[in-house]
Order: sequence, then C-alpha cells, then structure tokens
Amino acid sequence: MLAVFKRELRAYFTSSTGFIFMGFFLLLSGFFFAMTNLFPASPDYNAVLGSITFIFLIVVPILTMRLMPDDKRQRTDQLLFTSPTSLTGIVLGKYFAAVSVFVLTLLITCIYPIILSFFGNLATWEIVGGYIGFLLLGSAFISIGLFISTLTENQVIAAVITFSALLFMWILDWVTQGLPTDKTSGIIFAGIIALALGAFVYFNTRNIYVGVATTLVGAIIIVLTYFLADKYFFDGFIVRVFEWFSLLKRYEEFQIGILSLSPIVYYITFSAAFVFLTIRVLEKRRWS
Amino acid sequence: MIEIKNVTKRFGQHLAVDNLNFTVNEGEILGFLGPNGAGKSTTMNIITGYISATEGTVTVDGYDILDNPEEVKKRIGYMPEFPPLYLDMTVREYLNFVFEIKKVDLKNRKQEMDRILELVRITDVRDRLIKNLSKGYKQRVGLAQALVGNPPVLILDEPTVGLDPKQIIEIRNLIKQLGRKHTIILSSHILPEVSAVCQRVVIINKGRIVASDTPENLSKRLGESSKLTLRIAAPERQAVKVLRDVAGIKYVEAQGVREPDTIDVWIEAEKDIDVRRPVFNALSRAGYPILQMKSMDLTLEDIFLQVTTQEKVEVS
Repeated sequence: MLAVFKRELRAYFTSSTGFIFMGFFLLLSGFFFAMTNLFPASPDYNAVLGSITFIFLIVVPILTMRLMPDDKRQRTDQLLFTSPTSLTGIVLGKYFAAVSVFVLTLLITCIYPIILSFFGNLATWEIVGGYIGFLLLGSAFISIGLFISTLTENQVIAAVITFSALLFMWILDWVTQGLPTDKTSGIIFAGIIALALGAFVYFNTRNIYVGVATTLVGAIIIVLTYFLADKYFFDGFIVRVFEWFSLLKRYEEFQIGILSLSPIVYYITFSAAFVFLTIRVLEKRRWS
Repeated sequence: MIEIKNVTKRFGQHLAVDNLNFTVNEGEILGFLGPNGAGKSTTMNIITGYISATEGTVTVDGYDILDNPEEVKKRIGYMPEFPPLYLDMTVREYLNFVFEIKKVDLKNRKQEMDRILELVRITDVRDRLIKNLSKGYKQRVGLAQALVGNPPVLILDEPTVGLDPKQIIEIRNLIKQLGRKHTIILSSHILPEVSAVCQRVVIINKGRIVASDTPENLSKRLGESSKLTLRIAAPERQAVKVLRDVAGIKYVEAQGVREPDTIDVWIEAEKDIDVRRPVFNALSRAGYPILQMKSMDLTLEDIFLQVTTQEKVEVS
C-alpha cells in the first residue's frame, strides 16, 4: 500500500494535476476569505469554509479522474495486479494519495485563520471542528470520484461523470424541499425501492425467483410497518430518505461549531463504502 | 513447476481459451506459439493472476493461484506484451517502486538493482525518464521489472517485439542464460526465436493446443518426405528428364530460370530415402553440373502454418 501511495502522490506533482488542484482551490478559497473575512473585517472563518464547499464540484474530478484510467492506459495495472500487493492495498494507496493532496492544500489554507488571529480573538476550536468536517466531507467526495474513475478507461469521461454525481449531491438538497410529504407517495416510493432492490438482486444472481422474493419481502415489510409498527412512518418518508443521503446537510453542524460523533461516523462510513465498492468492481472485472 | 489443468476462459460468448492442459518443468524454457488471437496472452494473464479463468486450475510451485494468490505472484516475474511502465519515472525510480510492490525485502537492494541493470544492459540510462527512452530500451526496462526479486518463474509475452536484430539476439541470449536458473514460458510468433531458445514448444490455435513437443521432434514428425531444390546448368527439358529417371524420386517440377543458362528444379523423394547422391551421380553422368542443392526440411514455420491452418497434428 505504501509503495502505491508514494507513487501516486509523486505522480500528482510530476504531472500538473496536483498543482492545478491546489492552485484552483487556493485561488477560490483566498477569494472567499478576502470577501468574507478581510474586507468586512469579520472573524467568522467557518463561514468561509461553508461557502467554499462548492469548489469540490470542480476540483474533486481533477483530483480523481486519473487515479484508475491512468494505470489502465499505461497498462501498469498489469504490474500492480500481478504483484503480491493486495487489491485492497492498491486501492487504499490511491485513495489516500488523493486525500493527502487535499490535506496538503487544506494545511496551506490554515494561513487564513492565522492571519485573522493577529487582529482579534478567534473561536479556535470551532475552526478546528470546521476543518475536521471539511476534511471528512472532501474525503467522502474523493471516494465517489475514485469509484467512478474505476468504471471508465477515459479520464475525461471519469471527470464528467464525477462532476455530474457531485452536482447531483447539491441538487439533492434543493430537490428535497419540493418533494411530496404525504403518506401515499411515501408508500409508493418505498415500493419503488423494494422493486429496484429486487431488480438489482435479479441482475446479480440471474435468478428470477430470488429477485421476486426480495421484492415481496420488501413489500411485506412496508405493509407490516404501516399496519403494525407506525402509521405515520411514511409521512415525509421521501424527504427523510433523500436527506439521509445528503452529505452537505451534515456539514452544517460542523459549520456552526458543533462536533458530534454521528456525522463523523457517517462520513467515514460513506468513504469506506465507496472504497469497498471500488475494490469489488476491480475484483469483479478480473472474473468477467 | 507450473501446472495448467483444464483451463477455460470465456469473454461473454467468446471462448478465448478452451480446456488447456500443460505442465512446465523446473528449469525448462517453454515456447508458447500461436497466431494472433490464439489465446497466448490470455493464458499468460491467467497464470499470473491478472485475470481469472472461467474454469480450471493453475498451480505454481504447488500453490493454487486462487487459493494462494500472493504466494504464486511472489514466484512469478511477468513481462506483459506491452511493458507496464510509468512514463513519468526514471528507470531507477521505477525499479525501486517495483521492488516495493513486489515486497522484496533486501538489505542489498542497491547491488541487486545494479545486477539487474547490468544484466539487461540499461545501466547507462538508469537516470533517464522512461518516456524519453527508445522502444528497445523500454522493452528492456520491462524485462528488468520482471527480474526484480529473482523469481523462479519468468513469463515473457513476446519479449523481442519492436527490437532491432542486434537487440533481438542479445535478448535471446539473455533468455537462454536466464533459463539456467529460472523456469520460463516464452510466447512468440517469431518462430526461429522459439526454435533457437526453447526446449519445448506448445502451439495453440483458437484457444486449443494443437501441438506440443520439442522443436526437432515436431519437424521430424511432420517431415513426411524429403524435398530438395536444385540449380542445374542444363536446359530445362533435359534436366527434368534425367531426374525423372533417378530411383526414389516421386515428383519433379521445374521452377523456371533464375540465373542465365541454368534451371531451378524442385524434387520430392519417397519417404526415408536420401536421393542426394543418386541425383548427383545421374546429373554428373549426363554432364550437367549442380550449382546448388538445398534440402527443404520443414522449418518451425511450416509446422506452425500446417497445424494452425489444418489442425491435423494430434497432441502428444
């Protein structure tokens, strides 16, 4: 893992990607720092972190697009996958390399609050909490980018799809506000999820009975929940499901200075899930 | 050392490798021959664990590739068809990286590296970026990469492609030299290479083994009759007439005039009869000097064409 990590990290800075990522990130964060803190003479540094989350939309695809396609193109994946290093080690090495470039960039932005501290008292621990949240949020986005980069052999396509996926994360929050909250639509939505789950199982096992059985189990759970457990469970169900997937919503807590365990666990689990999916996809490709 | 049992690989509907069986003994250099798309690279990718077989087992040194992938991969040095090089690294940085991912823990890594650089003769380019190297040098770096960790098994997929004739000879000699200490599978479609280097040849076509033997036995087995070409200083009709009368000759055919006042003739003798002396005597009695006589033993090329186009030869 360490060997792959070192190589990937190095590759970011022998090519231009690392510098483009850093430059773009620092340019925009500097701009927002100046506009939010310096000119209005405001000490609220977390507001800067909160308003620059949209940078991820542009910089994460830059960071992750070359991770897997590059090896595929140079055929160095043949070297990696035939070496005694495990697939998990290879994927983790790549993931941590991308995260490290991001961390390095964040360390540079630490200059901003230090500048602020010359002019007054800062809420130091709130800022530290804000940084922790920002780091976790970014790592989660990078894990999405890593996963998408394994799905294609083309860097440009990887970048575009990653951008779209992240954009979807943002739209998710706006869409949520307009979703229906009544009981019927909640139940229908739960039904669709059960159906999709059944279809997913069917396409993976190629067994129609298992697929139908999964859907039926889902339907039974929906019915039982409604009649036996909680009549109001499906009120606002759609909104709750979408909100649960929202990475950005969870960042709000960090932004206002609350450091609680649940969003931290959520972000780490989210990243781990996508790293795991990446390993599975690579594993599966060798079998097909 | 390497045992391949009932290995089959399907890509969707396409059958790339069809029930392949063969073993490679320790210290042997096995030539792996076949036309393009025969399944050579697929088989090598399966042995090295890059892709997995749909069915069948591969064991290296007693370890199964599916049960103990790490043990198997530690024992194999693999040079794929396209050398897997990081173009943005220097040769030395690249080889250092290979040492690390292959988990070769050596105190004297530097000496080992120098030994490999010297062996494939890339010492003078060791500090240059790989992307600036010529094709021949890249090929050698690819070979150097396979040698890292001194693995007992080497799998080389067309190692001499893209090299100039002098480099080809160098690499061939190197492979021969490596064959003393390593078990090698060498794929190629350059046939003289295989007969020059390998002790045993496996020919595959459309994913199946069509022949497997030593290069000599293969040509013996297929050489049903001996053929000769002659260049004789004589008029065409007379030369053919004289030759037709020689006992043991089955077939005579004039090939036309390639040199003024001579004729080229192609003759085929009965099986196991050496007609060279009778031919000489007959022609000298008639007063027609032989300027050239060449026996047309089946080369590996002929065998290759014969088995890959007709699939007549039974597997030994």
